Amino acid sequence: MAEFAHSSAEDSALVRASQRGDTDAFEELVARHRDKIYARAFSMMRNEEEAIDLSQEAWVKGWQRLVQFQGDSSFATWITRIVINLCLDELRKQKRRRTESIEEMDEESGGVERQMPVVTTNPTERLERGELRQRIDQALAQMSNEHRTVLVLHEFEEMEYKEIAKAMDCSIGTVMSRLFYARRKLASLLADLKQ
Amino acid sequence: MTEEQQLKVQAFLDGELPESEGQEVAAWLASDSDASALLGELKNTRAALKEFDSPATAGVKLPESREFYWSKIKREIERTTPVAAPAPKASLFHWFRRVLMPLGTLAALALVAVVAIHSFSGGQHPMPMAANVMLGDPGALTYRDDAQDMTVVWLSYPAENKFAETSSGDTLSPK
Repeated sequence: MAEFAHSSAEDSALVRASQRGDTDAFEELVARHRDKIYARAFSMMRNEEEAIDLSQEAWVKGWQRLVQFQGDSSFATWITRIVINLCLDELRKQKRRRTESIEEMDEESGGVERQMPVVTTNPTERLERGELRQRIDQALAQMSNEHRTVLVLHEFEEMEYKEIAKAMDCSIGTVMSRLFYARRKLASLLADLKQ
Repeated sequence: MTEEQQLKVQAFLDGELPESEGQEVAAWLASDSDASALLGELKNTRAALKEFDSPATAGVKLPESREFYWSKIKREIERTTPVAAPAPKASLFHWFRRVLMPLGTLAALALVAVVAIHSFSGGQHPMPMAANVMLGDPGALTYRDDAQDMTVVWLSYPAENKFAETSSGDTLSPK
């Protein structure tokens, strides 16, 4: 009976119940949004195991910080921001562990992409949805973490340049440059894959 | 096209330019085919990404069952959430400490008072005895009889300090 009530309740009611310590209500929230949270973690990390771990960590943090949730945004948006921040932290840790300089590599690659001829074909018109998805997925996998992240935050999370700069701890100019490079790289990869 | 111009086209698409600058760029885009083509490519890419991430076409599914995925979250929540201390069990010992000990102390006080009044009223000793309650320790009473040259220390049961634990109860100590 209680389970049925949870499954038919709105997110806001489940959040209020969770804030009172109802873990069954929180489990329902997890069940509803787990695919989206996992998908966002996967889009940033490109690693299934890491995405699962980080998404679960996000849910635990969400539970711990639930009292701070005031309903200014939707619950889904709020928990998505938590998983994004966890992914950004993890990517920073991974970057520190890497010996190569991503910044230098980015500048070199970006220079090439800026001079690339404009792609005039529209991939959404030529490809089936499933195929388009698959090709974009492959293209995202080929990008560096920095370029993929800026693309995810801007295109999927609709964050402004300054918000991304703050989240990624870089300048607005760097965000613009990375975003431009990532878009052009994606356009070229989709064009290549089509041929 | 310079890098700065390319980034302006992008900022125009993203609505990140101030209104006045946006109008300037719009006019420039209308007259520059290269800039206009670049804007078209950026728009197409953006549309493809929107399609990729739309709920209708989102194909990414968590590769774990609901139960298994939740079990790890629940375990971590239970591990990190502070557990409230359990209420103490109501035992005979606790009942004794809470109720009988104060009563015992009061009874001892009353006894000392009765003995003191009785001795004083006898007239043989103006102030033959002194009863001293050690307020710092409600479980102990000291009774001093100057006439008998005797001190009695009453310790309530159960013993709560090291001294009391090693003592058998009332203690006599010579002056």
